[in-house]
Amino acid sequence: MEDLLPKKMTYNLDFKGKGGDFFGIVIVNWLLTIVTLGIYYPWAKAKTLQFFCGKTSLNNDPFAFHGTGNEMFKGFIKAIILFFGLFAIMGIFIYLKLPFVGMLLFYLGIFAVLPLAIHGSYRYRMSRTSWRGIRFGYRGDKQEFVKLFFKWFLLTIVTFGIYGSWFHINMRKYVFSNIRFGDAEFEYDGDGGDYFMMNLKGYLLTLVTLGIYSFWWQKDIFEYFVNNLSLHKEGKSVELTSTATGGDFAGLILTNLLLIIFTLGFGYAWAVTRTMKFIFDHIKVDGNIDLDSLQQTEENFKDATGDDVSDFLDIDFIV
Amino acid sequence: MLQAEAILYDGKSSVPQNIIVFLDKYKHALSFQTTKDAKNEWHIKDIVFETLDTGLQLQYQGTDAVQIIKISDTDFINKIKVFRKENGHENWYEKLINSGFKTHVLLALLIFTLIGLTYVYVIPWFGEKAVVIIPESYDNTLGSSFVEQSLLFSEVDSAKTKSLNAFANELQLNNTKPLHFIYVNEDVVNAFALPDGTIVVYSGIVNKMEDYDELVALLGHESAHVNSRHAMKMLCRNLSGYIFISAILGDTNGVMAVIGDNVNSLQSLSFSRKFEEEADLKGLEIVTKNNVDPNGMSNLFKRLQSNGKMTIPQFLSSHPMTEERIKYINMLNKGKKHKIQENVKLKTLFQELKE
Repeated sequence: MEDLLPKKMTYNLDFKGKGGDFFGIVIVNWLLTIVTLGIYYPWAKAKTLQFFCGKTSLNNDPFAFHGTGNEMFKGFIKAIILFFGLFAIMGIFIYLKLPFVGMLLFYLGIFAVLPLAIHGSYRYRMSRTSWRGIRFGYRGDKQEFVKLFFKWFLLTIVTFGIYGSWFHINMRKYVFSNIRFGDAEFEYDGDGGDYFMMNLKGYLLTLVTLGIYSFWWQKDIFEYFVNNLSLHKEGKSVELTSTATGGDFAGLILTNLLLIIFTLGFGYAWAVTRTMKFIFDHIKVDGNIDLDSLQQTEENFKDATGDDVSDFLDIDFIV
Repeated sequence: MLQAEAILYDGKSSVPQNIIVFLDKYKHALSFQTTKDAKNEWHIKDIVFETLDTGLQLQYQGTDAVQIIKISDTDFINKIKVFRKENGHENWYEKLINSGFKTHVLLALLIFTLIGLTYVYVIPWFGEKAVVIIPESYDNTLGSSFVEQSLLFSEVDSAKTKSLNAFANELQLNNTKPLHFIYVNEDVVNAFALPDGTIVVYSGIVNKMEDYDELVALLGHESAHVNSRHAMKMLCRNLSGYIFISAILGDTNGVMAVIGDNVNSLQSLSFSRKFEEEADLKGLEIVTKNNVDPNGMSNLFKRLQSNGKMTIPQFLSSHPMTEERIKYINMLNKGKKHKIQENVKLKTLFQELKE
């Protein structure tokens, strides 16, 4: 007999990382990075990502990050070569007494690399993240994304930055709607206009309340991210909802601040794990996809260059 | 053979499969059988072990995907742990991570001490050495822009400036670049030197002096600052300190950066003390070289002391404690016989300034 009504499933999303464990990882990473004069950095990054994935669990099974220091080191070297190249070009033009042309080419180069770095970063990180051995994947098309990126960027310039909200949300929509979790697909449906109004309101009220409203603004931003994200598979879906309030955010941020200040920075690891725990504790997951039925569909992708370039440019991974 | 019930995720789907895992102590491997395939064998060295609160998770990189086994049998988990330890399967990284919270705190303190020592000793030294790379012409640009700013609201006495320059011309100041002196009518008990060789003297300090040897000591001290490029050295030290701090804290947040910034400015106060001491000693050399009474130097410090508070431009602040300065200058003068010769020209010019 077939189920006529899709059965509601229960999901349990949790972060189990402890500050003490993360502290150990941070310290060992620092130690090894110092001892190796920085060369250890890619391995340190891999270890940190492995920790965060490994401590996040869905229905009591952890996620896993399989990226290795070796892969990231190769990407790291390529990223260094790329930036050296750009600097060299700038240097040549400065030598030719054309410093402005050199600067222009340098920034254009960085700018051209930006969408490629975002694309590469998502392909790499998604492919190297899994749950119960089922890989995530990013199926965005490189050329299409680059074209869209520049189109949105031009619109942002022409509108003196107002289009920035649409830029942000369109990009998020494109990227997240191309993320796969095995044979399930993510979807993000936000709207630049809504996002613009929300931020305008947040900005003005924060000014009026001398900053106090910023926690509620933060709550809105988080909610806008979480609530618009969903997972789909064969007509079934999983929806995410934020349960965090502005008060919750105020508590989190202020405690973290005190924690860091009064421990002279030592509490950093605990502040981070508390924040992660907070995030996953305040996401409600509802839906009817059977998580036991996911199939492996996404390919392996081991080139970390995009991810390392993003790191050099200091772009946050989540857009 | 040791065995336990476990759950397998085969890397093809997320369906949990019940299996029995065996620990083969001779082959150093774990083996199991699924309903579909033949026997699987994972070498312990190839497995990534992770402790969860529900038990132990084993990850194994298969040809295409990662396969996972979850074991919750505590007895089996402990035996595997002991077996791995006995056979040296734990790698050095695991050992470091599992070395416990106390060790990590100790390591953290060690790293902080190391960073602190680098910051206090290595970085300033490095910054100072870096001054050599900066061309002297930059000292001039920096100095003249400062002169324009700082003398904007000051009343420069052109007649006395002339006398002051004549006074200085009578002296051998060990300078490598031309020095020019400016006399400002303002009741400030101080003087300062700029990197381009401009030395500003306030009427407040000159009026307190009783003899010309004190003015020689003052000019000697300020010239020493210029000769040793102290301003540029300070700038380089502060800048390298700032770069170091922000590089270290680069990956944390803004709060830390603000703390770091303040730490750096506190540090730079004591940096300049070292330079003041150096200028005192080199200034004293200038005094004796010109056959002037070295007691002028300690008298000069007494004038500063009697004034109590000093207002000094920010980046030249914090002289060593006046009493301390008098002490070490007297120490240096003691027992040494210097040739002292009264210079009438200096005396007359000094009187002109005092009028």
